[in-house]
Amino acid sequence: MSIEALPVESRAALSAGAGDLRRQFLRDLVHQKAFMIGATVLGFWVLAAIFGTLVVQDPLAQNLSAINQAPSASHLFGTDQLGRDVLARVIVGSRSILVTAPLATLIGTVLGTVVGLSMGYFRGIVDDILGRFVEAFLALPLVVTGIIGIVALGASDTTLIIVIGIVFTPLIARTVRAAVLVERDLDYVAAARLRGERSLYIMFVEILPNVLAPITVEFTVRLGYAVFTIVTLSFLGFGLQPPTPNWGYDISANVGAVTAGYWWEVLFAAVAVATLVIGVNMLASSIESALDAS
Amino acid sequence: MDADRRMLDALRHERSELENHYIDELASGRIDRRQFIRRGAVIGMSTGLMSAILAACGNANSSSSSSSAAASSSGAAVKGGSLKLAMQAPAGQVNPLTVSDAGGLCLLAQTGEFLAFDNNLALALQPMLATSWTPSKNGSVWTFKLRPGVKFHNGSPLTADDVVYTMQALADPKNASNALSTFTSVLTPEGVVKVDDTTVAFHLEAPNGNFPYLVSSDNYNAIIVPKGTDFAKWQQTFIGTGPFKLSSFSQNVSASFVANPDYWGGPPKLASTSFQFYTSQQPQILALEGGQVDVIVQFVVQGAQSLLNSSSYNIIKLKSANHRELSMRNDMAPFNDARVRQAIALCLNRPGMVQALLDGYGEVGNDNPFAPKFPSTDTSVPQRTQDIPKAKQLLAAAGHPNGFQTTLTTEQFEEIPALAQVIAEAATKIGVDIKLKVESQSAYYGKATYGNSDWLDAIMSLVDYGDRGVPNVFLEAPLTSNGPWNAAHFKNPTYDNLVKQYVAAIDLQTQRQIAGRIETLLLQETPIVIPYFIDGLTATASTVHGVNPTSIAAIYLKDAYKTA
Amino acid sequence: MAGFVLKRLGLGLITLWLLSLLVFFAGQVLPGDPARAILGPLAAPSAVAALARQLGTNQPVIDQYGTWVGHLLTGNLGTSYQYQAPIAPLLGKALGNSLELALVAFVMVVPIGILGGVIAALNVGRRVDRVISVFGLSATVIPEVVSGIVLILVFGLWLNVLPIQAAWPPGAGLGTQIYHLIMPAIPLALILFGYIQQMARAGTVEALASDYARTATLKGLPRGVMIRRHILRNSLLPTITVIATQTGYLIGGLVLVETLFHYQGIGTLIYNAATSKDFPMLEAGVLVIGAAYMVATLAADMLYTLLNPRLRLRGVE
Repeated sequence: MSIEALPVESRAALSAGAGDLRRQFLRDLVHQKAFMIGATVLGFWVLAAIFGTLVVQDPLAQNLSAINQAPSASHLFGTDQLGRDVLARVIVGSRSILVTAPLATLIGTVLGTVVGLSMGYFRGIVDDILGRFVEAFLALPLVVTGIIGIVALGASDTTLIIVIGIVFTPLIARTVRAAVLVERDLDYVAAARLRGERSLYIMFVEILPNVLAPITVEFTVRLGYAVFTIVTLSFLGFGLQPPTPNWGYDISANVGAVTAGYWWEVLFAAVAVATLVIGVNMLASSIESALDAS
Repeated sequence: MDADRRMLDALRHERSELENHYIDELASGRIDRRQFIRRGAVIGMSTGLMSAILAACGNANSSSSSSSAAASSSGAAVKGGSLKLAMQAPAGQVNPLTVSDAGGLCLLAQTGEFLAFDNNLALALQPMLATSWTPSKNGSVWTFKLRPGVKFHNGSPLTADDVVYTMQALADPKNASNALSTFTSVLTPEGVVKVDDTTVAFHLEAPNGNFPYLVSSDNYNAIIVPKGTDFAKWQQTFIGTGPFKLSSFSQNVSASFVANPDYWGGPPKLASTSFQFYTSQQPQILALEGGQVDVIVQFVVQGAQSLLNSSSYNIIKLKSANHRELSMRNDMAPFNDARVRQAIALCLNRPGMVQALLDGYGEVGNDNPFAPKFPSTDTSVPQRTQDIPKAKQLLAAAGHPNGFQTTLTTEQFEEIPALAQVIAEAATKIGVDIKLKVESQSAYYGKATYGNSDWLDAIMSLVDYGDRGVPNVFLEAPLTSNGPWNAAHFKNPTYDNLVKQYVAAIDLQTQRQIAGRIETLLLQETPIVIPYFIDGLTATASTVHGVNPTSIAAIYLKDAYKTA
Repeated sequence: MAGFVLKRLGLGLITLWLLSLLVFFAGQVLPGDPARAILGPLAAPSAVAALARQLGTNQPVIDQYGTWVGHLLTGNLGTSYQYQAPIAPLLGKALGNSLELALVAFVMVVPIGILGGVIAALNVGRRVDRVISVFGLSATVIPEVVSGIVLILVFGLWLNVLPIQAAWPPGAGLGTQIYHLIMPAIPLALILFGYIQQMARAGTVEALASDYARTATLKGLPRGVMIRRHILRNSLLPTITVIATQTGYLIGGLVLVETLFHYQGIGTLIYNAATSKDFPMLEAGVLVIGAAYMVATLAADMLYTLLNPRLRLRGVE
């Protein structure tokens, strides 16, 4: 359940140059095996989400006289407690998570960048005050934030996106702040100040482009955590409502049947989650190391 | 045969009108032996008298086999011994006034006792701390005679003062008493009157033919405690009159009890019992399978297939009125048209649901709260079955030929989310698109008052109702015009009037007559859908005998023992 | 140093106060009401009102907060609405259970994590390094529910070698307790593995490139001795920091593991408090975790600063 950041100082130190490096960066990226594997896995799930319904059975169709059936030729992954095809639910279950995870991460990244820029640029009292809030939020257990968000906004994917966005904000803010602290003492910032530029201009036009690299890395790393968090919160019943296929919810709805021997009702969804997070993570780390190299 | 007739006449001679009514019912075959015992007990006939009547009616040896777990069984009993049980953890403090959960009420019944005992295995109301009770002619005053020689665990004798103290506290609207959900508009503190040291009279707000059930183990808060007891501190001592005394209690962990050698009914067979608390079912099943406990006090089918499919355990199955209620807002479109509500009810494949969701451990419902287990249920009212063409027809006639979209709000509890999905899927067959909103129980119930509760306010709402000994509460609170839990917002003066008559009726014939009219009315109006009634299930190791569970998740262990 | 510590403690207290406000006011939107939660949905309104008066939950929100803070300042964590019992013993027990679980996870993961990191560092850029790093990174993002399910299926049901629930039988000895905690600890250990391995790797790489490693090599020390003497010691430092900052996570993020393995820890306690609107319990639980998190971070920073004097002036945040 941790969304605690990896130490970011190393990443913060990144200050990528511009232009030509981009081609170099892309070449580095494609040459990494991790990138190719990650892209393949992610690609598979994207295809599954878009075209899955064309291939598999109806994930909502119940058959009360064929419940809890073990995998067979007619149901490759078996059926669940309402006689629905587990394969169909796993394939179509990728839909919601592939929408919610990136959106949640995006919200967190945007908000976190704004907060982090302000903290790093103004330092002093602004930093101290915002810093307290950031820390308080970090110490708040995710479940509590989740419950409060879900109650205030109702259980839905939108709520999930907002809650995770808010949870990620302080984490990303911390990273951005560290990167900005390095930048703000550099000559170009001093020059801009001497020119009499306004703070907002300096923050967003001068500094922001120079800290984009750590922000990009942070975004990709957080993406994996977003999947992690969505599955966790859905497992606890805070996500999308049934009967829409949903990995986390389907696991929690069927986990009680594991001792009865109905392993297929949870295992395939669990494996699906694992492949997706690992795929996203491989992409993230290859992007990071390609950025490092260039 | 002639001798029997003469015997019966002799027995009738000194009986009251009401008692004779039941004898007639029995003699004419309108009620069977078990129902006779049950009704006889409610109006206070003694066991000896009833068996004499049964013998005279010549059906004493007809079907007497009930689920036999309470009966003794073969195998060498181990003298003394300790029984380990797995149960749902009490949700909070074990306070006789406030307890409202399965875990809490199970613990209350370990050391506490009631005036009467609703024996779910025998389907009969039996004397407990009261030896007999009699109604006034119209059923508005009930007089209870207390058992002599009963002592509390602190040594003080049980008297009418203790009963009056307990019942007044439970019925006091100023107290945080959970029993008020039963006693409101039935009993006030002033209505509880000491007649003499061993007699207590209850003067009711309105006639009530089933009042003894309301002071029985059915009303689980109503354990008799010594006069002056501080209910909030009861958890420290667990003082009652029961066959077991508290030995230790650890919040969220366990409770253990030892045999009470001074018990009025003789000491129990077991030397001690210990209850392990669990917050979910799966570990309880594993504990039974691993031999760490001997009994699971109550479990549900979902996730328990490994127990049900194995022959190494005794499964005690209790008929129960535990049910799910789907309400539709009778005051809001599109459900303000009875045809729409009927259409929804006609979509459901009830036998299929009982099989898939309950593994067969239940009985189909007929959209009224008269469960098959109630003797007053009129079983001649036709059962509603799935009929998609008719449902479509009704929907079209109501102006929705292409269906409509709506939302069903419900709680995260047992099989309910699965049931909601089955209902939604069934409704698609007539073009009705039901979106689901499954909430945590606290979010769903909210403040549990109109305007502050998804349960009571949602356009469609699916809720659980636990078992009761009589259908009174089910008939009143969720369906009468001013009922506090009327999620369907059903307002029908004819219905209200019928319920009032039903509650007041003392004899079974009248009760059943009115029940038939209520059932028919509810089928026509369909303010609610009751798809099924769920059996109470208890599991024990095969070496355990004589446990007596109830379908509200209490368990009585006085006669329990283990064999080697 | 003393000034630094005092400042940090002061800031930490402010943060905790903010946290308590946050929980309190955000908690007001939580559904239901405590008296209703205790008596159940079917209780009569008059009973609920009576209980609300007893509990004090009918008081204005600000007053409730004031009462709670007042109790806290006198060292009293208050009384749980749900259990109507003092919070401290309940919380203490749950915390103890969670710590025991966390400890088992730590004991499992720390040596393996450091070993993995050092091996990766000695093989920078090679296949071994990449495999270990990718595994570590992946392990940190696999939800506990996923790894937990797989463990339950494989070790609990198919091989049947480990108990699938954390709650041990009553009266079990330490050995049995640990035996029951192995499986729940693995998902936690997996997540930590990534962090620790990464830090150990980074630390070792840095140490290998540093002056003393070069000096040691010049001195002709055998590689094995050098690793033991210098690198391990120096790469342990950042690793300790990571572990310390993870204490908060380990204590606070247990809800899932505790739910899945049916364990009565602090995670479940907070979760239950939130769902039954047991405000004093929720506040106490969250604050205890918050405080643990802050103390751990501070201790780690101090350790880091003490052992690494160059950093003292930079100030650690």
